[in-house]
Amino acid sequence: MTARLLSGPALNLGAEPYDAHRQRLGALPGKAERAGLIPAIEAAGLLGRGGAGFPVGRKWASVAGRSKGQAIVLANGAEGEPMSMKDRVLMATRPHLVLDGVELAADAVGAKKAVLYIGSEHAGARVAMEAALRERPRVVDTRIVTPPVSYAAGEESAAVRFVNKGDPRPVTVPPRPFEKGIDGKPTLVQNVESLANAALIARYGAAWFREAGRAETRGTALVTVSGVTTPGVLEVELGTTLADLAAWTGGTASVGSPVLLGGYFGSWVAGPDAWQMPLDPAALRARGLAFGCGVVGFMGDSACGVAATARIMDYMAGSSAAQCGPCVYGLRAVADATARVATFAAHPDDLRRLRGWTESLVGRGACRLPDGTVGLLRSALTVFETDWAAHTAQRRCQVRA
Amino acid sequence: MNARRPFMDSGFRIEIDRTVCDAYGTCAELLPELITLDEWGYPIIAAGNIPEPLLNHARQAVESCPIVALRLAKVPTPQAETRPDRQTGVPPWPPRPPQQTPRKSMPRKR
Repeated sequence: MTARLLSGPALNLGAEPYDAHRQRLGALPGKAERAGLIPAIEAAGLLGRGGAGFPVGRKWASVAGRSKGQAIVLANGAEGEPMSMKDRVLMATRPHLVLDGVELAADAVGAKKAVLYIGSEHAGARVAMEAALRERPRVVDTRIVTPPVSYAAGEESAAVRFVNKGDPRPVTVPPRPFEKGIDGKPTLVQNVESLANAALIARYGAAWFREAGRAETRGTALVTVSGVTTPGVLEVELGTTLADLAAWTGGTASVGSPVLLGGYFGSWVAGPDAWQMPLDPAALRARGLAFGCGVVGFMGDSACGVAATARIMDYMAGSSAAQCGPCVYGLRAVADATARVATFAAHPDDLRRLRGWTESLVGRGACRLPDGTVGLLRSALTVFETDWAAHTAQRRCQVRA
Repeated sequence: MNARRPFMDSGFRIEIDRTVCDAYGTCAELLPELITLDEWGYPIIAAGNIPEPLLNHARQAVESCPIVALRLAKVPTPQAETRPDRQTGVPPWPPRPPQQTPRKSMPRKR
């Protein structure tokens, strides 16, 4: 474990006050040094931490290039992923690091206004961010917007639509928010952890940032670990293995048990090999996996992967914003078929149709909800292959026999 | 002959606003070569650009949509090679033929 974002006072003490924050980390660099911030972020290789992993420096540069002093920064703390806790923990304990990042981003992209977009269920985070805003000098005109509880509300086009029109549903892109976002202005939608990292790079530089990391992608990341003795949010070096994470959090029943990596938009992985692979965005991509928003869910030996997948499919079908037909009908069909398999009531062609949907529903929505959902299903059909077969053919569960 | 743009390629593709599409299915009827319907009646559009011989059918399919969920979009062609080389100022060789303009007016803008 490597504390950078979360260094300082113990997390159970709550939000770090502005004075303590400034004393610990020092003031933000002045205007002259800030001019080099975008190149520094690019040199650091910082990837976005909201799930998509887009290079942060490149995003800032494309907004800055269109801004004409009119851009808007949206700090994304919607955190609608049910298995993720890291954004709310960061906002509730290190609010000023996030606000430093907002201030720097506004400066770098030429924005005078910012929106803190905080999921309405994250009351602790919102209270901490509100208090932090009152504590510090008002450099950027910042307001807090709280979207309703919804998986899709955190998607960037949905975030912009909610701020503009009070409707948290994704929009067909292009134009993307960096071209035309809040009030029609170029908008930087950036996850709060990414912004907090930018605040550290601004103070200590790209070389310092790159000192952490055990594999190709450098730096640390916040991860949310569940299914272990002491679940919670940790800050780890990228490239840490699942085996390390399990060891640091009190361990699980057995090594190599299935892990849900990346949350409901992620993939199942299993086996001792998987436990040894580095949690490094580049290495994961090479295996067809994604680091996503840093969710690591260990599954106990007594849990059934088919049943767990069926629950997730049902959640995702219920999370559809109900705009695109293939998502509305496709995800419901996926959820119903997986539920039938999980309850030993599969129709003869359910497995074949599920496999077909893992291909045919990709790219069929305005946002990537169908893609993420069938991506997880595809991994489940592989990792739990014998379980699906037993549930359908023998109508029994190998795990909960 | 321009290697990057074979004559079969119209330089257009079909774009769909899936939040608008309501599974009327007229597009698939008029352009079965490129559009099929899934089990719920929503279109599956073949990847890639529209072949030149199908462009008129594609235009009809786009215009047939009762709720204007489809549009023809010009696919940007890479322009890099048409610019003079940054260091030497020498234009690329062979020069590109002039861009073809679409024969008909563009579909209504949504």
